Amino acid sequence: MEERKIGGRVVRLIRGDITDLEVEAFVFDITADLKLGSGYGGAIAQRGGPAVQKELDAAGHLPVGEALITTAGNMKASFIVHVNGPKFHEPDTEGKLRRAVSNALALAKEKGIREIAFPPIGTGLYQVPLDLCARVLMEEISGHLAGDTTLERVLLVALDSREWAPLVAQFSKGVSHAAA
Amino acid sequence: MSSDSRSYKAQVLAELLSRKLTRPLVASLVSCVHCGMCHTACHYALADPEDPRMTPSYKGDQLRKIFKRNHDWTGRVVPWWVGAKAPITDEDLEALKEIAFGTCTNCRRCTFNCPMGVDTASINRTMRGLLTAVGVMPEGVRVVSKDQWEIGNQMGVLKEDYLETLEWLSEELVAEVGDPAAAIPIDKQGARVVYAINPREVKYDPRTITNAALIFYAAGEDWTMASDWWDQTNFGLFSGDDQLGGTAGRRLFERVAELGAEKLVISECGHGFRSTRCEAQNWAGVDVPFVMESAVVTMINYIKEGRIKVDRSKNAIPVTYHDSCNLARSCGITEEPRELLRLVVSDFREMTPNRQENFCCTGGGGAMSMSEYTPRRLKSAVIKAKQIADTGAKIVATSCHNCVDGLSDLIKYYKLGCQVKQLVDLTAEGLVLEECAVRRTPRRVVPMPEPLPEVGPAPARALPLAGRTVLVVDDEEDARTFIATVLEDAGARIVYACDGDEAISVAKRERPDLITLDLSMPGKDGVEAFTELRHDPEIASTPVCIVTGHPEFRKVIYDRPVPPPEGYMDKPVEGEALVKNVRRILETAHAAA
Repeated sequence: MEERKIGGRVVRLIRGDITDLEVEAFVFDITADLKLGSGYGGAIAQRGGPAVQKELDAAGHLPVGEALITTAGNMKASFIVHVNGPKFHEPDTEGKLRRAVSNALALAKEKGIREIAFPPIGTGLYQVPLDLCARVLMEEISGHLAGDTTLERVLLVALDSREWAPLVAQFSKGVSHAAA
Repeated sequence: MSSDSRSYKAQVLAELLSRKLTRPLVASLVSCVHCGMCHTACHYALADPEDPRMTPSYKGDQLRKIFKRNHDWTGRVVPWWVGAKAPITDEDLEALKEIAFGTCTNCRRCTFNCPMGVDTASINRTMRGLLTAVGVMPEGVRVVSKDQWEIGNQMGVLKEDYLETLEWLSEELVAEVGDPAAAIPIDKQGARVVYAINPREVKYDPRTITNAALIFYAAGEDWTMASDWWDQTNFGLFSGDDQLGGTAGRRLFERVAELGAEKLVISECGHGFRSTRCEAQNWAGVDVPFVMESAVVTMINYIKEGRIKVDRSKNAIPVTYHDSCNLARSCGITEEPRELLRLVVSDFREMTPNRQENFCCTGGGGAMSMSEYTPRRLKSAVIKAKQIADTGAKIVATSCHNCVDGLSDLIKYYKLGCQVKQLVDLTAEGLVLEECAVRRTPRRVVPMPEPLPEVGPAPARALPLAGRTVLVVDDEEDARTFIATVLEDAGARIVYACDGDEAISVAKRERPDLITLDLSMPGKDGVEAFTELRHDPEIASTPVCIVTGHPEFRKVIYDRPVPPPEGYMDKPVEGEALVKNVRRILETAHAAA
């Protein structure tokens, strides 16, 4: 575990399965049609039950870069912040990723959430570069925590050593430039 | 054509190709002389000789044209002369997807029969990787890839379900052999051997895990399974995504190293063995500090070293062997399975052609996850069906889980009347436990727990499904009766329904612990009933095991925008497998509740 403090708030780097964490909210990278699908989506469906998809069905659609919140059904978490991140080398990957992270943080603040966990967004099947994602995550989170927010803890959750390494590298670079 | 007129995805695909060009790939791209030799090597072409699109050289030409247009000066100067052409629109990419994923299983038989040494399977895998990178792929490829990326195994088996399954398999094995030492060890630090499996074994065929555990126990092996990163399969091989290939391999390698094992034994899976043993170290750019071995070799060694004893007369039914493409053509494993079979069965018959010349089971290259191409796949399977029928064997042995599914499907489709088994099954079934190392070597025996004193007749709870109610839904009386009888014999109370409407109403009235659901039924079919059931809050959480004679419906049922079924079995089902699957589902559901 690695930890840093920004304005009295904590950013923590941990390893694990984000869908099995005891955390107030976690972020899930979803497609525009708001279908949970497989991967983490399949885990949400299995661990959370049908309630999550039902809430998503009611919402219908999510443009790229946007975020929305649902409950987490029977999961250990209370809420899921769904973001539609960039996918498959689409144009302006960094801009879209930045908007997705920023909107997730803003939505968490709007809902009064105090603790949220982020996975690397889109860095598996969707082929978003991991180092880019690590940098954007740290910059956006640092900037948000330096301002006025309800968030007290942000977790960055790496599933394996491949995800861990760039997050640690970004962590060790510090966040002052990002918060500036 | 200027690159400006290309769609964004087509432009990206062309750019990504430059990163994938290696000398062997370029050699294959430039050396095809279109002699046609590959035509007679391909099961798709042989089964559909009038369709030139089935010829391997045509499939390779799809990437060859893009290569020429972008990387060969002749294609840039006189594209019309050398057939250089890059995809322009997203529709062009969809057409390429149909060829790359729908007309080739990357079996490499054409490669072995090409006088120029053109590796069309590598070309095709590269094309798949390019398409995957821009998001153009069959839905099944997307689903399975995402499961492996994010859950860590191809079938999205959650950790708690995996561990729960191992736990009850372990309990069952301990009870069967009457020795607590037969328990399946999990995360045993410093064990000599780590055994890695295919997630299909956990989800659909747990008997292969029990059989392997029995063999390790009989041999007195110091072994373990890992609680994380236990999947030895690798969908990156099929999708062409080297990043996924390297990631899946690295996870497994790191886990084995953490456990401090001397050896990784890879369960019987052709592409899993090839990926783990031969490819993943290159994809991941890592070396490993342990030995990697196919379970087939492990079993041979146990027999030769006298650690296990097998009686061939226990396997007297005629057996033939199907060579997995990945094992035979890509890893050179042809003699080891035959050596093992001659040790464990008494009537072994060769299939012709065999070894590197064997034909694909038609389920390779991820084909079983792409149900939209099932009719073409089954049509091409006529070649394999004839091979099997000519042997007269009643059991087709194979050392690959994909092949088990592909062969089972074609055996049913062509009504061949035989069954598929893996070598681990035949070896376990032939074991003479009393003469194995575990019973010969003096050791500290941990006594089995004392059974509770019995009063009167044996309690019904001794049966694995005692106290459970199962709703059996099937329109065919024979199937309904068979499933009901098997489950009833295992202690379950059975209620019935003959169609979808009745299934919903009986489920609401009886609140069963589990539903076995046929898909093809008159009136409201199983797919509709399943969707309705999942949307009804009263019964939405009832576990469902699909039991169907229509494997092509697999995609349909998993594509429903509802939680997937807890189990899936193809007809005809074996009684033992049915009880094991039902018990696994019930215990997993109970643990999750």
